[in-house]
Amino acid sequence: MEQEPKKREIVKVTGLHAGYDGEEILHDVSLTAFAGDVTVILGASGCGKTTLLKHLIRLYMPTRGTIELFGRDITNMDEPEFDELLQQVGVLFQNGALLNSINVAENVAIPLEQHTTLPPELIARLVHTKLRLVEMEQALSKLPAELSGGMRKRAALARAIILDPPLLFCDEPSAGLDPTTSAGLDYLLLKLRDELGMSMVIVTHVVASIKRIADRCLFMDQGEVLFAGTLKEAESSGIEKIERFFREG
Amino acid sequence: MLKITLTGDTLGLTGVLSREEAARALIDIRSRIAASAAEKVRIDLSGLERIDSAGVAMIDQLRQELRDRGRDAELTGVPAQVSEALRLFASPGGTAAAAPAREGFFYRIGDGAVKAARTARTMLYLIADTLYFAAAGLFNRRGIRKGEFINQSILIGVNALPIVALISFLLGFILALQSAAQLRQFGAAIYVADLIAIAMTREMGPLITAILFAGRSGSAIAAELATMGVTEETDALRSMGLNPTRYVLVPKFYAITLTMPLLTVLSIIIGILGAMVIGYSYLGIGPRPFYQEVMTVLFFRDIMTGLVKSVVFAWIIALVGAYYGFSARGGSEDVGRVTTAAVVASIFWVILADSLLGLIFYFGQGLEY
Repeated sequence: MEQEPKKREIVKVTGLHAGYDGEEILHDVSLTAFAGDVTVILGASGCGKTTLLKHLIRLYMPTRGTIELFGRDITNMDEPEFDELLQQVGVLFQNGALLNSINVAENVAIPLEQHTTLPPELIARLVHTKLRLVEMEQALSKLPAELSGGMRKRAALARAIILDPPLLFCDEPSAGLDPTTSAGLDYLLLKLRDELGMSMVIVTHVVASIKRIADRCLFMDQGEVLFAGTLKEAESSGIEKIERFFREG
Repeated sequence: MLKITLTGDTLGLTGVLSREEAARALIDIRSRIAASAAEKVRIDLSGLERIDSAGVAMIDQLRQELRDRGRDAELTGVPAQVSEALRLFASPGGTAAAAPAREGFFYRIGDGAVKAARTARTMLYLIADTLYFAAAGLFNRRGIRKGEFINQSILIGVNALPIVALISFLLGFILALQSAAQLRQFGAAIYVADLIAIAMTREMGPLITAILFAGRSGSAIAAELATMGVTEETDALRSMGLNPTRYVLVPKFYAITLTMPLLTVLSIIIGILGAMVIGYSYLGIGPRPFYQEVMTVLFFRDIMTGLVKSVVFAWIIALVGAYYGFSARGGSEDVGRVTTAAVVASIFWVILADSLLGLIFYFGQGLEY
């Protein structure tokens, strides 16, 4: 596992144990994601990828271990401090998680309305800018129900990056999308990384997507880390499960 | 921290222009520029160390406001990192997206009429489909889930039994109490039995059962069908060659058609029992004379009136619930919306139908009704 010392550690998980209802799902998981990298958490369905991601944004609390975002341990952080830290983090949920009762522009504006004192005219401009970045400015006044799956994800991505977060978490961005739309979303994520310098932690099991976007990867199996390193190292790791995943995935 | 200076026609921005500074900066710059008479404003960004998308939006807004007042605005001394942010985040042409135009008064009236016509047509299709499949299902069970009729009869009818019984008892009790206070003044206390028997049989029994069914079963039908629509289950049924009306709605339709008249009869009996308690405890009328008075005043046609009403109400509740359930188009939020709408609409149509049926039975059977 080769590390690049010149890059800043933006996410650092150490010895994480977690689970629900007394059942341990994650066993001694450690992860390091560097600034400016796309770090992919991969593995078969049910291996604990999404559970790990939900711990990274403190939707669940671990039973043991530490989670550091931007060098600060979030497991011991109080609520107001963590809420402030969350403004530096964007999250793209698996199904977009747009609020169905309001239109796309209103969805994207929520973080600005809640976390800034910007006047409405600046909020409108920012919403338009971010929707243009994800090529969704034509859907400004549409309701989420009127959008396709890919459009919903792009609109949700605009909401996730509305506060210019340096760190973006994505849960299965390719899920439910056709290969072309999925590739389009991947290139969009790469554009955000390259142009905005955004660091990303992405959960996925789609091999084509992993090969397109991953700088580093964390391969999980039954709640444990099987491998962590660059994509090239993973492909030539000699670990049978990983090689089969890339071969058959 | 952002430092703002205005020297002659040059507006200098120094430091960091981020979303924390943007709102304050815009207000500050507006007031400074308003006080300046310069035709052209140079916005000097050479001192800017960093800018984010909110900062770019602020500059765009400022330039547009200046242009709108016929003043020229020019960016000067743009550092490389700021230039990159301007390229990424600047609005094309410097203008924000215009809000969609609001439709006119006549457009909205016309739109409302078209929507009402569509609703009526959809409802008629649904009624036709349901009655057709319900009739066809009596002879051919294909396309209807096995055991679903029994299951739905338990869910819709048997499970509603305790609440219908309790509310009916309390209703009979309260009606008897209120009327007893008046009738005993005229020595006509025994007529409490007549009043309650007729009121419960013709009106209150079917109506209170229908209102409880609308709240319990109408909402459940709407919510179930709406959820099935949102999660694409109805599409899946169609893809398997199954008609959702026949597969999902018809068993509920059978169940409500059977159980509602039965529960209405139960409601009438328990309502009269509630009145009997008042008769015995407050008016001193024993159960036997009370029962004899009830049997004297009630005719077969009174019972039929209640039963016909209960069947009509049952169909209204099932069809209105199904209409709203099938009409759900959005996500989880729409499920809640259609469920609420189904209950309100069911109760409205039940009361309207009760009034119409009351008039029909009244004039149809002569004024002695």
